[in-house]
Amino acid sequence: MNDYLDELPSFAKAIRRIGEIIITNIVLIGQIPSPTFQEKKRADFLLERMAEFQVDECATDSYGNPVGIIRGTSETKPPIFVVAHLDTFFNKDSDHSFAITENSITGPGILDNSAGVGVLASLPEIFRRLDIRFESDIVLSGVIQSIGKGNLAGIRHLLQTWSGPVRGAVCLESGELGRLNYYSDGMIRCEVECNISRDDGWEHKFKPNAILTLNEVINEILAMRLPQRPRARVIIGKISGGYKHGTIAYDAKLGFEIQSKSDEMVKVIFNEIQDIVNGYSHEYEVELKLRTISNQKAARLAYNHPLVKNAVAVMKKLSLKPVSEPSESELSVFLSRNIPAVTLGITHGDHFHQENATIKIEPMYKGITQVLGVLMAIDRGVCDE
Amino acid sequence: MNNNDWMKKNTFHHSEFRDIRCLVEEKEKKNLSISLCLPTLNEEKTIAKEIIILKSELMTRYPLLDEIVVIDSGSADKTREIAKAYDVGVYEANDILPDLEKFKGKGENLWKALYITSGDIILYIDADIKNIHHRFAYGLLGPLLLSDDIKFTKAFYDRPISFGDEKFRATGGGRVTELVIRPLLSLFFPRLTQILQPLSGEYAGFREVFEKISFPTGYGVETSMILDIYEKWGLDVMAQVDLDRRVHKNQDTKALGRMAFAIIKTFLNRIEKLGRLDIRQDVFDEMIQYNLVKDEIKPDIFKIENFERPPMIQIPEYQEKFDR
Repeated sequence: MNDYLDELPSFAKAIRRIGEIIITNIVLIGQIPSPTFQEKKRADFLLERMAEFQVDECATDSYGNPVGIIRGTSETKPPIFVVAHLDTFFNKDSDHSFAITENSITGPGILDNSAGVGVLASLPEIFRRLDIRFESDIVLSGVIQSIGKGNLAGIRHLLQTWSGPVRGAVCLESGELGRLNYYSDGMIRCEVECNISRDDGWEHKFKPNAILTLNEVINEILAMRLPQRPRARVIIGKISGGYKHGTIAYDAKLGFEIQSKSDEMVKVIFNEIQDIVNGYSHEYEVELKLRTISNQKAARLAYNHPLVKNAVAVMKKLSLKPVSEPSESELSVFLSRNIPAVTLGITHGDHFHQENATIKIEPMYKGITQVLGVLMAIDRGVCDE
Repeated sequence: MNNNDWMKKNTFHHSEFRDIRCLVEEKEKKNLSISLCLPTLNEEKTIAKEIIILKSELMTRYPLLDEIVVIDSGSADKTREIAKAYDVGVYEANDILPDLEKFKGKGENLWKALYITSGDIILYIDADIKNIHHRFAYGLLGPLLLSDDIKFTKAFYDRPISFGDEKFRATGGGRVTELVIRPLLSLFFPRLTQILQPLSGEYAGFREVFEKISFPTGYGVETSMILDIYEKWGLDVMAQVDLDRRVHKNQDTKALGRMAFAIIKTFLNRIEKLGRLDIRQDVFDEMIQYNLVKDEIKPDIFKIENFERPPMIQIPEYQEKFDR
């Protein structure tokens, strides 16, 4: 059953030999801007690349996710999914020209998630060069609308409309090599928006300030006593507001996530924050609104699930040390549908969400090898119990 | 005076040649080989990307290119080191035909590429393209492979320019084209105005064409190439290909002024040789520009000499190597 493990080190060498094809895919795909809700050009290109690499069936689903199916040898085994989200944090105005040196690639979005998508596009050629055939169909998809307000809409739609069972799934993220995600916390992603009326006239000397109001809300959130069990946390992630240094801020916005292993606890904390927001809205006489951007339910595989155990074995065979944290990505959608799935990182990098995000080329070959190893494990039935 | 007959017939879009398998079949049927030359001077930021994309798409995946060579003018950065890491031929221009007098410039690199490469078709692509895509190569090679008449292809683009703050301007570029070469062509060779971007740095052609024309060593090479091919073989052997967008580094106006100087000089030299113009004095070889330095205007003088390499077919080493 574990015979494939011994093949893995030789796979890494063979994959390095076609490294230029993989790098080309990463660059050509990564240089197409793909902000959330505007992924069409990147989706079209990915589809075109899959067709060029002779994937058996290539089409865009009704939601806009490009999907390629490599037919397996068995007509009865359910398919295995490999997905990478297509959207990035960078808008179309950013210079998406990538730079390559002997050992690195630099460009906006490469670490989240252009390298992941480039590897996804390269898998058909890698399978072909390594002469790897699977019993299951391999369904490759670059899913759209993943990040932020996208709320994982692409993967949700893909799985909602997929008829028939799914054997297992691997989600690809550019970084970091060594990550092994197999559980997702319950999560609510929220925005608090504060708007001060401009109708009171400029002569009003003590108007409330939207930024200071949000500051009060933040202080109250930080003062909340969050439980250790079930583990829970509130992450303050984004803030914006105001016009200029000497003018009271009329508008401000705060973005945060509530995360916990327990869905119930997430709801409890959300309700507490709702009370805080309502309280300040009343006290300061400002328009203060709490809005839910997206949410997900907690879901997990057990650490001793065969998929997790085999993924750990694959990584150890490649001298990788698995690091596990909760993941709020496509993984959660698979797990919530009881489809065994893991998220794997492709390589190491720096400046994760900056314009000069950089990936290292050499570790990528090991990262791709672990993906092959996990796919082979799924194809040998580790998710079938 | 001017009609657009050539433009209608000989203008293509790169997408017409995207079936690379078909191009490879045609190449093999005609028993042709193709060399790609990347002339460089301090291009460490873009050279690896160009090599990897062109090599993986057009050598590893489809055998359209038979060799890639980098001809370097003596870069002070890591251009040559990076190029060598990706396993292509890397040469310093000065080391090729070392017994000849040494010159520095893009034209010199292109000329020496004729000696160092072996292809029947030679494709020249500048090494500073930030959005390189293999269409730059197959687009230019398509007409040469699929037509029996076309011997030289030239690129044109929608050219945004990348500025320091890394934002794009929607239109722009081609200032020297519109302010210098197009007026000159309109005055003396109106049919050639159909070539939309005569100064574009990407072109391809048969060795039998390139080896028979002379090469200015510097900026004038694109101008002389078009005029010489037109004079020797006519416009119908040429085609132009729309390669969509090309993103490159912006040059300041003074640098463009020096480029314009070299181009005008090459142009005047050519039309004088053709007897179209009688210049009754020696033209100078210094471009004089001025800078304001601490409230004082000071001249900045650049010597821009017009060295020109003879047709490569006249060089004995070349005759010997290529059995001419």
